[in-house]
Amino acid sequence: MGTPSFAAKRLPVAALLPLKRLRAQLAPTVADGLLSLGLLALIAWAAVQLFGWAIGRADWAVLQLNSMLLLVGRYPLAEQWRLWLLGGLLAAQAGLSWGLLRAWPRADRREQGQLWPRHDRIAVVVIILLALLLPAGLRLAGPLQGRWGLLAAVLLALRWAAGRWAADHWGGRLHRRGLKLLGLLWPLLYLLGFWLIGGGLGLAAVAPGDWGGLLLTVVMASFAMALSFPLGVLLALGRRSSLPVLRWGSVAYIEFIRGAPLITLLFIGQNILGFLLPAGMSPDRVWRAAWVLTLFAAAYLAEAVRSGLAAVPRGQLEAARSLGLNQAQALVTVVIPQALRVALPTMVGQFIALVQDTTLLSLIGLLDLLGMARGIMANPEFLGHSSELYLVLAVLYWSCCAALGLGSRALERRLDPRNLAGSP
Amino acid sequence: MNGTPWWRDRRVLPWLLQAAVGLAVLVLVALLMTNLVRNLSAAGLLLSWRWLGQPAGFDLSETLLPFDASMPYGRALLAGLLNTLRVIVIALLGSSLLGALVGMAAFSRNGLLRGLARVYVEVVRNVPLLLQLLFWYFLVFLALPDGRAALQLPGLVLAKSGLYLAGFAGGSWQGPQLLNGSWQAPLQLSVEFGALLTGLITYIGAFIAEVVRGGIASVPRGQWEAAGSLGLHGVATLRHIVVPQALRVIVPGLTNQYISLAKASSLALACGFTDLYSVAETTLNQTGRAVEVVLVLLAAYLAIDLLISAAMNGLNRLVQVRER
Amino acid sequence: MIRAEGVEKWYPNGFHALRGASLTVNRGEVVVIMGPSGSGKSTFIRTFNALEDFQKGSITVDGLALSNDVRQIDAIRREVGMVFQQFNLFPHLSVLENLTLAPVLVRKRPRAEVEQQAMALLERVGIAEQAEKFPGQLSGGQQQRVAIARALCMEPRILLFDEPTSSLDPEMVREVLDVIQALAAEAITMVVVTHEVRFARQVAHRVVLMDEGVVVEQAAPEAFFTAPRHERTQRFLEQIL
Repeated sequence: MGTPSFAAKRLPVAALLPLKRLRAQLAPTVADGLLSLGLLALIAWAAVQLFGWAIGRADWAVLQLNSMLLLVGRYPLAEQWRLWLLGGLLAAQAGLSWGLLRAWPRADRREQGQLWPRHDRIAVVVIILLALLLPAGLRLAGPLQGRWGLLAAVLLALRWAAGRWAADHWGGRLHRRGLKLLGLLWPLLYLLGFWLIGGGLGLAAVAPGDWGGLLLTVVMASFAMALSFPLGVLLALGRRSSLPVLRWGSVAYIEFIRGAPLITLLFIGQNILGFLLPAGMSPDRVWRAAWVLTLFAAAYLAEAVRSGLAAVPRGQLEAARSLGLNQAQALVTVVIPQALRVALPTMVGQFIALVQDTTLLSLIGLLDLLGMARGIMANPEFLGHSSELYLVLAVLYWSCCAALGLGSRALERRLDPRNLAGSP
Repeated sequence: MNGTPWWRDRRVLPWLLQAAVGLAVLVLVALLMTNLVRNLSAAGLLLSWRWLGQPAGFDLSETLLPFDASMPYGRALLAGLLNTLRVIVIALLGSSLLGALVGMAAFSRNGLLRGLARVYVEVVRNVPLLLQLLFWYFLVFLALPDGRAALQLPGLVLAKSGLYLAGFAGGSWQGPQLLNGSWQAPLQLSVEFGALLTGLITYIGAFIAEVVRGGIASVPRGQWEAAGSLGLHGVATLRHIVVPQALRVIVPGLTNQYISLAKASSLALACGFTDLYSVAETTLNQTGRAVEVVLVLLAAYLAIDLLISAAMNGLNRLVQVRER
Repeated sequence: MIRAEGVEKWYPNGFHALRGASLTVNRGEVVVIMGPSGSGKSTFIRTFNALEDFQKGSITVDGLALSNDVRQIDAIRREVGMVFQQFNLFPHLSVLENLTLAPVLVRKRPRAEVEQQAMALLERVGIAEQAEKFPGQLSGGQQQRVAIARALCMEPRILLFDEPTSSLDPEMVREVLDVIQALAAEAITMVVVTHEVRFARQVAHRVVLMDEGVVVEQAAPEAFFTAPRHERTQRFLEQIL
């Protein structure tokens, strides 16, 4: 593959004329030039093919007709207002968090003197475009388009207001309390969300079997993420414990789960869990799968957290203990926060994998996003239009996973102690 | 040292904690097992392996050892295991090659090539494998033309009816030939197998590319410069200076990817390939022997994982020792 | 304040680190422990707050016998502050939070009161203006001064220093020793493991030499440095002076 790119970067590339710069990038040698030409031709051909297909042969009616199926599955029409309400609450909460976090005093930001840096403004534009263009492009019904717009408006308005207010009125102490409040609001909203989706306590119950599409995917992924996190931390602590029973127990669990393909574990959940529990106590198929996903993700998360724990120097625990903190206090306030910060990239990587793993639910007959799409493709009415569905699904999953990755990198920068400056 | 009540003694407390956790786990396991035995005996499915010898009654489309519906379940599972192993071995080689090329392309002088490598990795890693497998099977391989219109490359023909490769047959090199409207070749693969292989290789290849890129990037820049100052160039530097050092970082990462490849191969049923898992599922549907089937599955995948780990640990030792 | 008698310790790997070390530290006394590396001096003072356990002998701290009773260990740790060679500040907490964490969690004191005290302590060690910064943004000398203030914030009766200046750049050693010296003037009981001869001469009431896991010699600083009685002390002083 020739010399590494360092060599190319060491050239004073920026000083060269654009044309020369292009040449340095694309055709440093004759062979490279030919290679570039070939690649360019290939890319152009693929682009033309894709473009021709997208505006010519592709028929997006399959999406218009099935948009609600793909979004929420067979969720009863009369109860769908609950989901829109939940969407609104989520948008509000996200806007609030976004604004407050942006106003968090940070040395580097203060120097620039601006609340919303460039990539924030880009994100806003993307959100507006997505909320307006996508529903319009898919020619969704008028009310649906309006609701999407409303969600985006709530998100952006709260983000703007919270950021403005926090930047003007908050100092270090008050701010930290506000962030604690956020930390409380998210779990609350989470519980509220499950109540709104599942019903009960005064709302009409909607059986998990009726959840489907994107809704089911999101519910499963978020359920497994939230519960696997504490489990994973406990397992990681167990694995690093000096007590043999805890250590070997954790090792056995982690290695057993990591040794088996997820599909076989889901298989166990569907076919054997019923035998393991007393008759009549076996949960619904959807919940069985959710628990399997959780227990599965916990083992992988434990490995991520373990690497984080290994990175915390021994002196940290000793210092905490010598100050009189007991083992639990020292772990919770000193060791685990530092371990999680180190483990963050790996952990997000596992969460991304978890989002992708929810597609396996379609193999055990659940109607998650992919399962629903396969159901629609099997419908003779839409025969020959699977490409459109596959494309949209791929874009959806890709954006979810890529967004998680981007968010993790932003959080990593934010939690870097060098960026954590208080008021000057 | 005397007079400490036992519930506050730090020599006793760890054991108390362990005893409590151990007991809780034991009680839970005991409860589950009692339920299992009770429920299984109620359903008349107590652990038994006699069904392995009964005729399977279903056919497998492609196997390495002869199989038909009159042969027993045991042989069906064995055939599935062999299919799984076949996929793993070929995909392992293919994804390593692809990953190495793409990983090195990240250091190319050619900006376009670097960009393409990046795009490939970012796209493939962020789309679920299952979706990719379905794409390859339904949208690519099943959409191939057949007969005279089939996609013909030197030594390789891609058709809806299968993949035809050139090879040695009867002591001479032979390419695919069209006989009476159907293709014949020394080496034939089903489209299911082709789709699974393509999907696995491109997916795992992207992860391996990242491992390789990380390994090469871990070699300090001073090493490149030192090699350059000695008059070594491009490929020679890579071959003699960089790769031996990068391998120390790459090999442990590869182990993880190979194991995840082995587990990912269990998605074969998405593109209709009869691997171990899909045979097991059919077996379950016919016999209802859930516990036994799961035990077979777990044991098989555990054995494969251990095999890969052992082999890679050996390789790792080789790589690490050579440095000293 | 501290009475250690015949302390013996084996590490799990069989290394016999302490071989009957004995030491008595009186209230308000500053004791400096010196000795070649590997002599067991760090291990010895780490047994005083149960960071290391020991197999034989007895240690009494402030009237409490160190035993395997976890409640007693916690009580002793609350009264004994420790400053480490590597500072061991908590990097994810601000300087102020480093100080307030333990008093609020362990002593259950109101946060506002502790913060006031912490600011006063930071003032005393000369870094009050850095209270909102994070440890990673401070120099080594500043970090070690924060570590001292953190130990003081628990209002301990005894302070242990485990080579407090050994990982500092030379130009920062002075600022840390000055802080310790100022504390000595306030009659806080201190045990300091260090190689700083000048500090030992100026500040210590008593200098102790440890070698191969036992206390070899103890004497007032002048006598210790000018007229050592033991041959091992003479050899050690020849090497470092």
